[in-house]
Amino acid sequence: MINIVSCFKWVIDEAYVRATSSGQIDLESVDYKISDYDRNAIEEAVIIKEKYGGDVTAVTVGSPEASKSIKNALSRGPDRAYFINDTSFADLEPSQTAAILADVIGAQIKYDLIICGEGSSDLYARQIGPRLAHKLGIPCICFVQKLEIKDNQIIAERRVEAGIEIITVPMPALVTVLSDINSPRVPGLKDTLAASKKPVVNIGKQDLSGNYDPKLETRETRAASLKRSCVKFGSEAQDVSGFVQALLKAGAIR
Amino acid sequence: MSGVWIFAENREQSLELLNIGGELASQIGTKLVNIILGDNGQAQDYIDYGADEVWLLPALGPDQTLLAYAPVIADEAKQEDPDIFLVAGTLRGKELAAIIASSLDTGLASDCTFLKLGADNKLEMERLIFGGAGIQKVVCSTRPQMATIPARTFEPAEMKAGREGIKRELPTPPLSPLKLLARQNRVRESGDIREAQAVVAVGRGIEKKEDIDMIRELADILGGEIGCTRPITEEKHWLPEDLCIGISALEVKPQLYIGIGVSGQIQHVAGFRDARIVCAINKDENAPIFEASDYGIVGDLYEVIPRLLAELKKSGRAN
Ligand SMILES: Cc1cc2nc3c(=O)[nH]c(=O)nc-3n(C[C@H](O)[C@H](O)[C@H](O)COP(=O)(O)OP(=O)(O)OC[C@H]3O[C@@H](n4cnc5c(N)ncnc54)[C@H](O)[C@@H]3O)c2cc1C
Ligand SMILES: Nc1ncnc2c1ncn2[C@@H]1O[C@H](COP(=O)(O)O)[C@@H](O)[C@H]1O
Repeated sequence: MINIVSCFKWVIDEAYVRATSSGQIDLESVDYKISDYDRNAIEEAVIIKEKYGGDVTAVTVGSPEASKSIKNALSRGPDRAYFINDTSFADLEPSQTAAILADVIGAQIKYDLIICGEGSSDLYARQIGPRLAHKLGIPCICFVQKLEIKDNQIIAERRVEAGIEIITVPMPALVTVLSDINSPRVPGLKDTLAASKKPVVNIGKQDLSGNYDPKLETRETRAASLKRSCVKFGSEAQDVSGFVQALLKAGAIR
Repeated sequence: MSGVWIFAENREQSLELLNIGGELASQIGTKLVNIILGDNGQAQDYIDYGADEVWLLPALGPDQTLLAYAPVIADEAKQEDPDIFLVAGTLRGKELAAIIASSLDTGLASDCTFLKLGADNKLEMERLIFGGAGIQKVVCSTRPQMATIPARTFEPAEMKAGREGIKRELPTPPLSPLKLLARQNRVRESGDIREAQAVVAVGRGIEKKEDIDMIRELADILGGEIGCTRPITEEKHWLPEDLCIGISALEVKPQLYIGIGVSGQIQHVAGFRDARIVCAINKDENAPIFEASDYGIVGDLYEVIPRLLAELKKSGRAN
């Protein structure tokens, strides 16, 4: 029986992020989602549970508004959730998130294997996995695209620029997963109903004793501007000809 | 103690970090330390390119991973207390940097594309957020101020004649519990798309692998290379990873980028932000790629590509 923890983040859906006329980031009409690769992290935990026998705890740190994420996460198959929340946990930098996760997971959750996403969709820092592993004093393997467990050992195939590294380590350990490790299931009505019956452990700032001061301070944020001419052509032969003429004129083809 | 430290897995990125690291070191008035893997004569090379000191990491056993170096580097940093530590943002570099930052209880800004000493002498580091839709400028309030830097962010350092520097061996790291069972290096099938003057990128709009042939033909006519979106490499495995463009892959800066059957989600668009002219062919007139394009064709790529090939051939552009 393998105790698995998967960490997920509730993030602003970047597809809704707009720029204001003055170049600021406009978050007026954004929607939220479970960070893309964290769906793979949860799915992988559930696949391992189904394959080897186990128990899955999903954990998130965020502001109280992130409560919407809990049922969504649980409908994907975990047995329970830990919701670590405080109004001051809305915009944490990676070292803070990792420290909070380490304190809660280390003190309260049984784990053999911790699975994080490769990176969060909003910050994409790709830090929390390795930082959390270090804080817990366990080994980590990042960028895993294939995961197996044998005799209490993890065998992970992970991606690096030059190709693949196959790495093994005894549990407990942490991995971060790439999106091609699996295809997350789409929860059905039954899963959603089952999710509402699963236990949720709420943890507030008052339950934590660590010092979570930020080490990175944000001095400025702004929209990344994209200034393009946005000329559209149709698809008939004469339109395509016009398109080629435009490229010639712009000196984009010679 | 102080210093600007750099570490990169390869020479190309070492030279880039020597450049920006050297600039920062001279502004602060401190030394530039380059930590390198082993020594096959590179130590003097890096000194010639601006390092004041080169620290050599001893070779690892064949079953050890790069991460084994984390405790050695962290211990040195605890003793020497550098001001700044820049790590080349390869995948392994990012993992190593995060573990070192955690060991040193300091902040780390990932994938910084711009660095500058602020008025208060703090290192201002800029990076993309929201998949590339936003830019965040951060400073680190603890020491060392750490950042990972993607390849090709800075120009490589230039060689300076007659430089002398200190070489030093770092201690052998303790054995890590991580065991490397095998390493499978991928054979590079194509040129480096970052060098191409034209890039024709395919996305999930393409129905089958064979259809990439006509895209390749287009790229050939334009004297360019083909590239693709992440689903094409990661989900379909139709093209090798070194053709993927975007925030988690390569950044290209060609004269011409054409996205075909590419929706234009921000993580991909971030990878060709600096292309001179951007074009798109997509059957959905509301696809976000059109907002990121100079010229777009709204239509089915299976109708448009043959017409485009014919048009280019007619005007004598085909060889
Ligand atoms: C943290 C993170 C990092 C990421 N990093 C990257 C990255 O580096 N690079 C990257 O590419 N992606 C990245 N992604 C994924 C990215 O969000 C998108 O999912 C991806 O770029 C979409 O690829 P696509 O355009 O090929 O596919 P889709 O979004 O599925 O788009 C297919 C398009 O093809 C069009 N189409 C379909 N049929 C036709 C036809 N017959 N003729 C013309 N058009 C047609 C459709 O209208 C549609 O617009 C990342 C995601 C996350 C969360
Ligand atoms: N607030 C959070 N709560 C729980 N897990 C998180 C949180 N932020 C990040 N993670 C996990 O850490 C991974 C990497 O995040 P990041 O370092 O921000 O790119 C994510 O894919 C999640 O698995």
